[in-house]
Amino acid sequence: MNDFEYLEPATVAEACAMLKRYGGEARPYAGGAYLSIVMKQGLIRPKALVNIKKIQELKGIRFDPSEGFVIGALATHRELETSQLIREKLPILCAVEREVANIRVRNVGTVGGNLASGEPLTDLAQVFLALDARVAISGPSGDRTIPLEELFVDLYQTSLGEEEILTRVIVPPPPPATGIEYIRFSSSSVVDKPCVGVAVRISLNADRKTCGTVRIALGCVAPRPMRAQGAEALLTGHPLSPQLVEQAAAAAAEECSPISDLRGSERFKRGIVRVLVRRAMAVAYDRASHASTLRLRSGQAGSA
Amino acid sequence: MKKQIRLRVNGMDRTVEVAPRTSLLEAVRDQLGLTGAKLGCDMQVCGACTLLLDGKPVSACSFLAVDADGSELTTIEGLAAGDRLHPLQEAFMDCGALQCGYCTSGFILTAKALLDEQPRPSEEQIKDYLGGNFCRCGCYQEIIQAVKKVAGI
Ligand SMILES: Cc1cc2nc3c(=O)[nH]c(=O)nc-3n(C[C@H](O)[C@H](O)[C@H](O)COP(=O)(O)OP(=O)(O)OC[C@H]3O[C@@H](n4cnc5c(N)ncnc54)[C@H](O)[C@@H]3O)c2cc1C
Repeated sequence: MNDFEYLEPATVAEACAMLKRYGGEARPYAGGAYLSIVMKQGLIRPKALVNIKKIQELKGIRFDPSEGFVIGALATHRELETSQLIREKLPILCAVEREVANIRVRNVGTVGGNLASGEPLTDLAQVFLALDARVAISGPSGDRTIPLEELFVDLYQTSLGEEEILTRVIVPPPPPATGIEYIRFSSSSVVDKPCVGVAVRISLNADRKTCGTVRIALGCVAPRPMRAQGAEALLTGHPLSPQLVEQAAAAAAEECSPISDLRGSERFKRGIVRVLVRRAMAVAYDRASHASTLRLRSGQAGSA
Repeated sequence: MKKQIRLRVNGMDRTVEVAPRTSLLEAVRDQLGLTGAKLGCDMQVCGACTLLLDGKPVSACSFLAVDADGSELTTIEGLAAGDRLHPLQEAFMDCGALQCGYCTSGFILTAKALLDEQPRPSEEQIKDYLGGNFCRCGCYQEIIQAVKKVAGI
């Protein structure tokens, strides 16, 4: 690992100013789970690391009535996994987190770092995409909030400027009668990075039969996490039928662009996408239908 | 430029001087002389370098020592009380949960963190929590047995 300056700003504004001072030669440092590896391998050699871990405003997980669920960039995988609020209101996120990496990486790795690294073999992005999450970003020229989809550009490339900090992930409360499922497939050990990850979210229309909003998010099978919009469109406005599920699963497998590597061939991964979309869709639809009856009985929000 | 950091290691206050790129594992092994934690894969996969930072397992090979400033650190050397071994250490011996021993310190510290969080975990929970520690001698059955023994399940 190269030598570098180590800086510890107390506020986001200070952090952005430090990044600016190094003109692209400094990197924000959160958990370091990703940075430590790429720096040891000499893939990046920053002049400075700006440790953002002491910045209070980047911490915590909370519900904000106007924004929805707000997950601070510094929330660790483990915090999300064990959050009482998330367990009650967005249990799918706890379920995903239980399968991320190992306990050590979950203790240090942050949600912000997971998304900002642009690493292709990850899990959270798929679920956040299916939930229409947005990310808030601060930089020397102000703040902006963008749909998560617009964060991802290419392998290890995001739309974050060199002087910008991702401050939080915002998940709008899912509509009533919503069901979501994420299925992670690993082709070697379960603690390996995923080979394919598929999230499906279905929000039913008021008739509680036809699909209103459908999200099919695929991970690890394109240079960036993606939505299979062609497949989504096939379902919107229709009740789920076995034929439609099969068509949508096939469309999703077509839309992605996996590469052959040690985790499987391109053909194999397309096959896995097809199977996982089919399975996740069935579970999501079932949960959506169940959420609607629950809601009718007890007036609870749709459980995602 | 070197930086002085303060750590509470196994209950004792220590000060070390490190370069920003020094890993926590290097600081603990080379400067504090605590060599129980081992360097394995060097990429947070195998668990041989596990230390407890404020009670939580981390991969010391990939954690910057400067980032641990002000923290409490538990290493395998801190588990025994004088001559009396920690119950997990006793159980690992009784169950034959080690052969070469390279992974053992990581396994025992991870198991300690689990039992501190959850004194009576299910076998499933033990497997989940320890799933990120590798034993290339293949003592997994015995390791799980040892943890179950201490948990009394
Ligand atoms: C062994 C191993 C297994 C893994 N398995 C999985 C898995 O199964 N599923 C999964 O999803 N992920 C997995 N990961 C990835 C892991 O989740 C991420 O590496 C981790 O979350 C990164 O977070 P961090 O805080 O450590 O980031 P860092 O290493 O600190 O930073 C990562 C990158 O993001 C930038 N950055 C960090 N925070 C911000 C911010 N707030 N604003 C702007 N830029 C920022 C940094 O400059 C850097 O470029 C695995 C990683 C390892 C090492």
